[in-house]
This record gives sequence, structure tokens and C-alpha cells, in this order.
Amino acid sequence: MNQKRRNGPRAIAALLLFSIAQVSLQVGLAEPVNNATDVTSLPQQIVARLTTRNNQPITVNGLSATTGASILTGATIETGADQSATVNLGPLGSLDIAPNTKLVLTYDDQGNVKALLIYGCVVLSAKKKTNGEVATEQSTLGKTDPAAGGVLRHCFGPGATTTPNPTPAGGGGGLFGLGTAATVAIFAGIGAAALTPLAFQDNPSGANP
Amino acid sequence: MRIGISLLEIALCLFLIQASARFGFSRLLTRYALITHSTSVADAAVSINPSDPDTHRARAAAYNSEQRQAEATQSLDSAVSLRYRDDYLWIELGNTREDLGDTSGALAALNQAVRWAPYYAHTHWQRGNLLLRMNKPHEAFADLRQAATANQKYFPNLIDLAWGIAKGDLKTTQSLINVSNDTERQALIRYLAGKSFRDAFILAHGSAIAGFLNGGFEEPLALNDVIFGWVIAPEQRRHLAIAVDATQIIEGSKSLQITFDGNWTPGTPLLSQTIVVEPEQTYRVSCEVRSNDLVTGGLPFVTVRDVTNNMLLGKSENFPSTMGPWRTLNVDFTTLPNSQAVVVRLERNNCEASCPIFGTVWLDQFQIAQTKPTIKQ
Repeated sequence: MNQKRRNGPRAIAALLLFSIAQVSLQVGLAEPVNNATDVTSLPQQIVARLTTRNNQPITVNGLSATTGASILTGATIETGADQSATVNLGPLGSLDIAPNTKLVLTYDDQGNVKALLIYGCVVLSAKKKTNGEVATEQSTLGKTDPAAGGVLRHCFGPGATTTPNPTPAGGGGGLFGLGTAATVAIFAGIGAAALTPLAFQDNPSGANP
Repeated sequence: MRIGISLLEIALCLFLIQASARFGFSRLLTRYALITHSTSVADAAVSINPSDPDTHRARAAAYNSEQRQAEATQSLDSAVSLRYRDDYLWIELGNTREDLGDTSGALAALNQAVRWAPYYAHTHWQRGNLLLRMNKPHEAFADLRQAATANQKYFPNLIDLAWGIAKGDLKTTQSLINVSNDTERQALIRYLAGKSFRDAFILAHGSAIAGFLNGGFEEPLALNDVIFGWVIAPEQRRHLAIAVDATQIIEGSKSLQITFDGNWTPGTPLLSQTIVVEPEQTYRVSCEVRSNDLVTGGLPFVTVRDVTNNMLLGKSENFPSTMGPWRTLNVDFTTLPNSQAVVVRLERNNCEASCPIFGTVWLDQFQIAQTKPTIKQ
């Protein structure tokens, strides 16, 4: 009897130990394998932002990109005819890219921005404390003064003559080149003429006898 | 009673006519404003029909083109309040807010865009890009990956961003992309082949060991879409006949036979293969060559060039022009300090005048071996 009593707790303890071992083994097997690099440990870096005219796609590193795309340092940017774009470099400034332009844009968090023009036209607006540079593979076309910042407008290559406007004017020529104000006046006049009978239709006599 | 009903009907018709006219005219102005980016026309459109979100959107576009993002934001706020389920409006609002420097406001807008179009790629793509610029790479790549899953056209852009953010580190790039199938893996290999051939080779083959693939031409040659192995220049294919020959062999059971019909522009490679190498090491590329009635002023030869800058590292002797026994050609070269890979090419000499080439050559047993550098006295 005593022997039986002594063996009972032993058997229970062994069973318990076995159960715990099973659970531990299961948990051990179920543990996720973490081979992935912790992406949050990536160094902070400036990431520029692309805005394209009329949201038309341009080419970045040989791939299509539109407004809202991120531009990393070393990117090769290419615009076709009727395509233009602006790269917002945040604290460094911005780069306006004309149609039919190809360039390599490099920048860093030390305040250096360089647009290496392969062909076409650009306007680099560098803020203070930024070393802005527009260059070709052969030579430097211009540099900004980090103390004052500045704007560089340069073209390179055959047929590249028109630098983009960094702050494009709105409006335009208006209808048939009449100008925006005249166009608005014409439209307003047509609209008023169309709407007048409806607006004053409670007057049976009308505006004129 | 009848007159009353008739009058009511007339009044209803007139009201509908007026409403249609207002709507149509404001749409006309909206379209015109979008074409001309005229803020005054856009303002007129809004004043005629302020309950149409498209008029506010057009006004925002006009103000944006004048770099007046504050006014554009107000217009887009009005637009989204009128049509709050339009994800594209929210994206435009997000972009405009970001232009103003309001990144948290931009994120709030893009969150709304994702909320109303959760299964579409473009909303996740836009928010992922914003998060990336906000230095939140973990959340950013979760969104960017989701966009690429929803629409595969974003996958090359995802790879490009990951490679750039990882500063060319393969492991980090893979972690950011989280490649989930063989198609994505192939896309990554293809991308890397143009950026870092060594990494592409490692990803495809598990390790990077200098050696030719199909150096003895025992396997069939792939003509299109080749990343690793022999590449036959597409522009040269129609000028020559290339065949795997089982009659002329030096080792194995096959060799490569090339028959020229006159055209092969000097200076352009005809056959090439890129091989992984170690930097600042000395190698010997060897191959077996046999010719039959090779008639030309510019005989072929084998070159080795660095992949990165196309610098000539070494070249073989010219091919024999007459039929004879198989001949071994060697190219000894030393790789550059930053060399990752070299490209072995079949090229030919230039002539002073026209430079046709006729006849047949056989190639076999391309090999590469690391050698000890010769010490210059």
C-alpha cells in the first residue's frame, strides 16, 4: 500500500513533466523564424517627392512614375515631349525638369544636390545651406552659394534651350488668345444671357419692352 | 384645377431647365479651367454650381498649377466634403497637403483614400510613398508591398525603391520586398542583373563562383530573355547561321557552329556571357576554336571586359582563318579593384574599308580559371 502511495505522486509528477515538455516543444516549434532584417533600423535619409505636370507619367530609373512617387538619390529621371516635372527635395530645395530632359539626380543629408544633365533643361532652386550644382559629364554648368541659396537655370545638348519656369504662371492665353479676363467675361456674358430669362421669368414683360 | 397643375408642370420644367443649364455651364467652365489652369474660370465654375465637387477639384488643379497650395487645399477640402467616398480626391488632397508641408494631414487624407479603396493598388502605393518620406520604412513597405500584390505593374517600382533605400544591400532589399513567389524572384533577379550582377547570380544560383554556364555548348542555346548564359546579339542574328554541331567536337558531344554570310559590324559583339569574378584577381579564359575558309579583313577574337565600365581587360589572338586542328585561345586578365563581373565576348577586328566576313567557325570548351598574378620585374 505504502509502495503504491509512494509511486502515485511520482507517476503524476512524471506525467506533468511530460505534459510540460510537450507544451514547451509545441511552443518552440511554433515560434516564428525571424530571418528578416529589421527595416526600422534603416538609416534615416532624405527622400524626395515627384510631381508631374497634369499627373502625366515620366520615367524614373527606366520605370513609369507619377505624382507622389519617391525619388531616391542616384535616380535617373527622363521626361518626354509634353512632360515636365518637379522634384521636391524638402530642406534642400527643388528641381524643375523641362520636357525632353534626362538627368541623374544625386543628393545627401549633408546639403549637397547635384543634377547631372545628360540632355535637356532644368532649374535647380537650392535653399540656404545647400550646395546646389548643375553639371554635365564634362563640366560644371553652375553652383549655388550655400550662404545665400539660389536658382540655377541650365540647358545642355542639341535643341535644349528653354528652361522650365519654377513657378509656372496659371491662366494662359484664354479662349482664342483673348486672355483669361476676356474669356471669363465672354463666358459670364453667355451664362448671364442664358440664365436671365430663367432667373427673372416671374417678370412677364422681360427686361426690355 | 387643370390650370394649376399645368402651371406647376411648367414651373417644374423651367426649374429643371435652369438646373440643367447651370450644371452644364459650370461643367463647361470646369473643363475649360482644367485645360487652361485658369483660377478665375475655375472660380466662376464654383460660383455657378458650388455643389459640384468637380468644380472644386478643377479650381484646386488651377491653384496647384500656380503653386497656391493653400487655396488648392481649401478647394479639395470642399470637394471631399461633397464626395467623400472618392479615393482620387483624397489622394489629391493628400498630395497637396504634403506640398504644404502638412505630412500628418496628408497621411490622414491618404488613410481616407485607402479606406474607400482598400483593395486597389494606387491608394496603398501613394500612402506607402508618403510613409517612406516620413521615415517610416516598415509601414511604408507594408503598403508598397500590398500595392504590388494588388497590381503587379508596381512590383518593379517596389524593387527599385527597396534597392535604393537599402543602398544596394541584397539582404535588406529582399527583406523589404518580401518575395513571395517565383515570378517575383525572377523579377528581382532581372532587376539586379542590371544593377549588381553578382547579387543577381547569387540569388539565382545560391553562390557566386567564376565559371561559364554551358561553356561546352552541350545544352541548347536560349535566344530570348537571357540573364545568365550565352547571349547572341539580336541585331546580328539575321546575318549569320548559328547551330549546335555534333560533328565537330573536341570534348563532350557538341560544339557551336557559326556561319557568316558577310555582315557583322566590327566593334559589335556577336556572342557574350557575363561571369562573376572577384576583384583584383588574375584569371585565364580559354576556349577551343576551329575555322573553315574564314575570309575577312577583320578576324574574330575573344575579349574580356569589366561589366561596370566596359573597360577592356584582355583579348585573345585572332581566330585562325584556315581549316586546321582545334586551337586553344587564351585571355589572361586581372580584374579591377571594384570588379564584380566581366563579360566575355566574341568580337572582331576592324578593317580600313568595307569589312565583310564569310566562312565558318566552331567554338567549344569555354573555361575560366583563377591564376597567380605574374610579378613584373
